[in-house]
Amino acid sequence: MDILQAINLTKKFAEFVAVDNLSFSLKEGEILGILGPNGAGKTTTIQMLLGVLTPTLGEVYYFGKKLNQYREEILEQVNFSSTYTNLPWDLTVEENLIFISYLYDIKERFKRIKKIAEIFKIEKLLKQKMMELSSGQITRVNLAKAFINFPKVLLLDEPTASLDPEVAKYIREFLLEERKKFQVSIVLTSHNMREVEEVCDRVVFINKGKIIADDTPYSLAQTVETSHVDFLIKDGLKRLQEYAVTKGLSYKIEGRYISVSIKEKLIGNFLKEIMEKGIVYDEISIDKPTLEDYFLEKIKK
Amino acid sequence: MKTHRIIAILLRYIFLFKHSFDRLSDAFYWPTIDLLIWGLTSLYFRKFMPDQSYIVLVIMSGLLLWLVVWRGQYEITVNLLEDLWNKNLVNIFVSPLKFSEWISSFLLLGLIKAIISLSFASLLAFFLYKFKIFIFGFYLLPFFIILIMMGWWVGFIVAGIVLRYGTRLQTLAWAAIAVVSPFSAVYYPVSILPNWAQKIALFVPTSYVFEGAREVISKGHLDPNKLYIGFALDCFYLCLSLIFLRKSFDKVLEKGLVKLY
Repeated sequence: MDILQAINLTKKFAEFVAVDNLSFSLKEGEILGILGPNGAGKTTTIQMLLGVLTPTLGEVYYFGKKLNQYREEILEQVNFSSTYTNLPWDLTVEENLIFISYLYDIKERFKRIKKIAEIFKIEKLLKQKMMELSSGQITRVNLAKAFINFPKVLLLDEPTASLDPEVAKYIREFLLEERKKFQVSIVLTSHNMREVEEVCDRVVFINKGKIIADDTPYSLAQTVETSHVDFLIKDGLKRLQEYAVTKGLSYKIEGRYISVSIKEKLIGNFLKEIMEKGIVYDEISIDKPTLEDYFLEKIKK
Repeated sequence: MKTHRIIAILLRYIFLFKHSFDRLSDAFYWPTIDLLIWGLTSLYFRKFMPDQSYIVLVIMSGLLLWLVVWRGQYEITVNLLEDLWNKNLVNIFVSPLKFSEWISSFLLLGLIKAIISLSFASLLAFFLYKFKIFIFGFYLLPFFIILIMMGWWVGFIVAGIVLRYGTRLQTLAWAAIAVVSPFSAVYYPVSILPNWAQKIALFVPTSYVFEGAREVISKGHLDPNKLYIGFALDCFYLCLSLIFLRKSFDKVLEKGLVKLY
């Protein structure tokens, strides 16, 4: 069942088309990544999905109901967290969570605040004012706020930005766990491609306001033909360089390390030929194309 | 309308009030300073005009009643600014909170703070100058209603302007109410204003309250028509201001400024 549907979403600011006829859907328990370079229209899309920006054209449906007609009912089951918004600075973390819990009419609110504080490891921060927290701590509080109402749909804008790797990993695992346990559907934007690959079931790639791809991270990466073969050369670095040039392959050198970009299907032949040329290497690794390669390739185009 | 969501917004600002020296000083410090300065000044004047002893009453009542207008307006505009400065509007409006609930919480907050400030200042005026706010008797209630309504609609107009044009016009939060105060004839009769200003005063609801208050002080009663006109004007302006605020809010949603704020 489609939990969220965006149909022909378009947003124009005067003559500038920020989002152009975007349509996509989100299934129950699905995690959808929205990717794209800066200015692609990701934030504009998220704002329209949240009802804080009126689309020029198109509609947003949650649970089969129009957002602009059933806003109140829908938003009770939706929440949002962004690294770029703030909760009131002068209030303590606990006060912020209390007033937010009233907005969503949370039953047994203090029990819920305690629980959510445990999950996001902010128990010791509850009595501190927001202005006293580090950016990583603020991100955790924002996430706690987003989970306070047991949302069925979560929209997360850069959810793990400014978190240290350990906490970011913990949050990613938590998102996957929540999805598994409660079938929470999540839309997230991130610049961390590894995170998207790890967490998202599907990715919508936006550029200049248009969807240019909608597929799994694996399938998108597969569309990139170029792999990277990395060598630690023992003998024949110069010969390998010359060989790459004659074959029209791009490469990067760092000391005795060389990384050659080559189509995956040509790797076998390439390895055979460099062996025949007497090039000796101590180490070799083959990196298959990733979502990041896909992202970079699309941006280049 | 859901009460819990109105409580949420009230709590957000009550928590802020507790922590913010700015808000605390606005509520208690400045009214105290005003009372001290103007109370002493009026006592000094009375020495030269012993037959005009009601001058203290006029100044004290003007000071105290104006507090109601000021608080009504201030709570709306400054609290909106707080959310703009804190980039918190998006957290509020991605929740199920309705526009009407947001507005209602501002109205309630203005009312609560006006009662607190008026009570505090009235007590202080009593202890310092033996001035009793209850000299207005039953009239105090309609006075209060007309005054707070004026504070509300001025607040909504300023909030609408700030939402539409951004915080570069935030100074209006403090300055706007001062524009109408000369036409409200807080400390002097409307008749002392130049002709053109008297015409404007006819359309300012609070001018009827302050004229009425002086009538009560000098005669013990007032012409009830003053209250009816003041109230009717307030209702009219309040409706217009709400329409303006709603349109400004729709403009914000159209431009997507919630995220920017």
